[in-house]
Amino acid sequence: MTTTAQIPLTISEPEKRSRPRGGLSRTLVSYSFLAPWLIGFLGLTLGPTLASLYLSFTNFDLLQDPQFIGTANYERIVTNDVKFWHSMQVTFAYVVMAVPLKLAFALGLAMVLNRGIAGLPLYRALFYLPSLLGASVAIAVLWRQLFAKDGLVNVALALFGIDGPSWISDPNYSLYTLVLLSIWQFGSPMIIFLAGLRQIPPDVYEAASIDGATKVQQFVKITLPLLTPVIFFNGIVQTIDAFKAFTPAFIISEGTGGPIDSTLFYTLYLYQEGFAYFRMGYASALAWILLIIIACFTAFSFLTSRYWVHYND
Amino acid sequence: MTDASATVTTQNVSGGRSLLYHVILCGVSLLMLYPLLWMLASSFKPDDEIFGNASLWPETFTIDAYIRGWTGLTVSFGTFFWNSLVISVLSVIGNVFSCSLAAYAFARLKFPLKNFWFALMLGTLMLPYHVTLIPQYVLFLNLDWVNTFLPLVVPKFLAADAFFIFLLYQFFRGIPRELDEAAIIDGAGPWRIFWSVMLPLSVPALATAAIFTFIWTWDDFFGPLIYLNDASQYTVQLGLRTFVDSTGKSDWSALFAMSVVALIPVLLFFVVFQRLLIEGIATTGLKG
Amino acid sequence: MTHDLNRRTLLKAALGSAGLSALGSLPAFAQDARIRLYWWGSKERADRTLKAVSLYQERNPSVKIDGETLAWGDYWPRLATQAAGRNAPDLIQMDYRYVAEYARRGALMPLDEFLGKSLDIGDFDKASLDSCKVDGKLYGINIGNNSNALIYNKAAFQKAGVAEPIDVTWDKFFELAAAVTKAHNGEYYGTSDASAEEVAFENWLRQRGKALYTEDGKLGLNEKDAADWFAMWAKARETKACPPADLQALDKNNIETNLLTQGRAACAFNHSNQYVGYQVLNKNPLGITMYPQGAGPNPGHYLKPSMMWSIYARSKVAEPAVKFANFTVKDVDGAKLLGVERGVPASPKIREAVAAELDAQGKLVVDFISHVTPKVGPIPPAPPKGAGEIQTMLRRISEQVGFGRLSTADGGKQYVSEAQAILSRA
Repeated sequence: MTTTAQIPLTISEPEKRSRPRGGLSRTLVSYSFLAPWLIGFLGLTLGPTLASLYLSFTNFDLLQDPQFIGTANYERIVTNDVKFWHSMQVTFAYVVMAVPLKLAFALGLAMVLNRGIAGLPLYRALFYLPSLLGASVAIAVLWRQLFAKDGLVNVALALFGIDGPSWISDPNYSLYTLVLLSIWQFGSPMIIFLAGLRQIPPDVYEAASIDGATKVQQFVKITLPLLTPVIFFNGIVQTIDAFKAFTPAFIISEGTGGPIDSTLFYTLYLYQEGFAYFRMGYASALAWILLIIIACFTAFSFLTSRYWVHYND
Repeated sequence: MTDASATVTTQNVSGGRSLLYHVILCGVSLLMLYPLLWMLASSFKPDDEIFGNASLWPETFTIDAYIRGWTGLTVSFGTFFWNSLVISVLSVIGNVFSCSLAAYAFARLKFPLKNFWFALMLGTLMLPYHVTLIPQYVLFLNLDWVNTFLPLVVPKFLAADAFFIFLLYQFFRGIPRELDEAAIIDGAGPWRIFWSVMLPLSVPALATAAIFTFIWTWDDFFGPLIYLNDASQYTVQLGLRTFVDSTGKSDWSALFAMSVVALIPVLLFFVVFQRLLIEGIATTGLKG
Repeated sequence: MTHDLNRRTLLKAALGSAGLSALGSLPAFAQDARIRLYWWGSKERADRTLKAVSLYQERNPSVKIDGETLAWGDYWPRLATQAAGRNAPDLIQMDYRYVAEYARRGALMPLDEFLGKSLDIGDFDKASLDSCKVDGKLYGINIGNNSNALIYNKAAFQKAGVAEPIDVTWDKFFELAAAVTKAHNGEYYGTSDASAEEVAFENWLRQRGKALYTEDGKLGLNEKDAADWFAMWAKARETKACPPADLQALDKNNIETNLLTQGRAACAFNHSNQYVGYQVLNKNPLGITMYPQGAGPNPGHYLKPSMMWSIYARSKVAEPAVKFANFTVKDVDGAKLLGVERGVPASPKIREAVAAELDAQGKLVVDFISHVTPKVGPIPPAPPKGAGEIQTMLRRISEQVGFGRLSTADGGKQYVSEAQAILSRA
């Protein structure tokens, strides 16, 4: 999109000048780097993607041939589908809560781990442990035990005199347990932040501390700006992931999205439509609407990124 | 993030502060560790104790589940481990290789239609996979790849997961461009710059990509579910799911036992590769 | 009849063994058939099925059967994907809930032409055959029968000093359950709340002369029926016979999350073939009995196939696949290997042979089916398209009522209006 156009001129100029070869061969060399992806995209990804776009304009029950019905699926979604609006609401609430909290947690711990204290590899491994477990059946069972009325969480809260509800099975709170699950699995963005922090040359800090900058000033003036490409990346990727979140709700509610559809994520609804109720055409239309929403969000992020993301190039 | 204000101005932390850090880190670690302890406990419990009794300590202690789990199925769990290992290792090689090539092209090279391809590449991240599953299945069926590892591995060699292209793209763009320019002045072409400048400077990012690819492939359930039919080709995740059938008689303790065992390879991979994470510019002492 | 049958079976067995030796010596005559066999279930089921497969292959060396097995939840998405790709397995273990969905969309092969030939299930009673029919055609081979079963913790009732809930009315049932809750100081409930369980709802509807669906696929109940159902359970929540909604919502409609297994309630509303699955996860000895009865004479229970064998419509090895299926339900050796793990065999002769070798738990289930059989009513017609969605919807509305977001009367209204919308869309 627009990111590539923002390379500062002063830096891209010398590159142009020093290029020894002509335009065509340069293009060929560039495409030779791109070739594996391009082959995969044209050969494996594009076809199924276009097929799903076509299916979104059909009545497709998986077992019989699809029948073209024009925009009927889309019309129904917008005008006559309460579950669409409801699941959209659940998903937005999830995105808004889970993404910033998870990123803040991941960045904070990455900074703590980026210091010279003993036992760091061990801590890193431990912090990554929840993410290693993924969204397995075991996690589902554990989560239901932890957040039940008489679960460990309420036992802990009782120490402070709080009488907690049955978090996981009360429709007022069940979504929060999934937000917590997402935050708890902060390992991946943490690792990416850590890799980003390691890329900041230490001499930058040395220079700053000679100048008498405090830790806070260093963080605001050096760490954050130099980390913006990684923050940008984590923000986009985590948001896309949260919009598409499926597995946590699927395993914890056993595919129902319950209680009372309080954890009916958008993709879970889409999955039910497609695979449980045999309406794959309708599910495809739902998926393409989600794609448009995510694409708008991503485009917006890229457009604003030129004002706050600092690349070295 | 609030710790930033409380820290001293050197990179290394002094004694008292260090203790404070350890206390904080240990506390967080405990939250992280609890599920593993719980899984371990459940794996040593008989089945009729797992759900009715939430205690971490088994009333009856048994290691039967490990023996049952490893040898009990018609195909030994060792086979599942081998299959998962083959698929995961091939995926790491394919993914790191193909994604870094594409990322370099997008980050540093100029070519027609670049923005167009970049947008499409990002677009592939955005569609829920459930709706491309069936067309993709039909495609692989026509290629006669179903019931082999090919549908799980070949896409990795063709950079099908845009997440990693985007990840490496961001990191490549973080590398100072003066380094390329120095190489260009030395007469290096894009391939040489890629090999001798970008890759060595991106070890933490490449290690990150390798770690994620391995773990996500190892944990992937849906791909193997759809494409592998024979039990002899099942991966660990598929094998785990065969212990439990929610409509009938299940073997939960074996599930937990094998879940614990299944963690070992990913944990090892993580521990080995995370050492590469902390290398890179910070340790190679690069001066701009 | 039995005499005739025995003779026929004997003859067949003799021919079979002759055929076996002939095939063994002259493999060139054999038409090689490779069958993909697909089922869901636990490890025990896999062991039993694969033993039957290897015995069958031993007897029929020209046939090669590849078994593919998954757990229930993973089974259906894969089947749907493969069927969409026109690559489904040949012999498919099918569920009563899904058979109409697949059959009406042309994914399954009608088996009527095999009847009396390679499919020798003439001794199945009419109900066991009819239950596998969709719109008048046979789409499944009944592997085993089950029926609704109340599974309960015996010790809990003993502790309360009340009778076990064997063949009681609903009123009596809730009375016993409330006594159990009281005896456990309200920390353990007499029964789980089954207002979200469609099987229980259907059983109760049949007792009052209604049904979920009519013969022609319309809704078989009205707003008042549904409202009364919700009201009955609302009252049970009030008297603490069953737990409050936030506890009940822990139940995710499977064995491991059922409140009986979780040690929170004494009764589970389920099916007889799940008894063994429950017992494995429960320390206390469990009892099995019929659902509570209505005041009138209408039976709520019926026998239905716990699962059936179906043939993929595009299978190229339909005939050999049917033969193997027949082997598992009509050959004494084959059926014995499967046992009653998939349900109680429909063939009387096979049932007898299998029952002779059962363990105590298996016997309990067979005895239960024998106890229920004289009391059952006719099997309802195959549910219309959209039934699966309505089942999920019942759970949601029952939770809305349970959490006090809907009155019982409004719950009834909403059930009917949503169900009608779903049926008209399907």
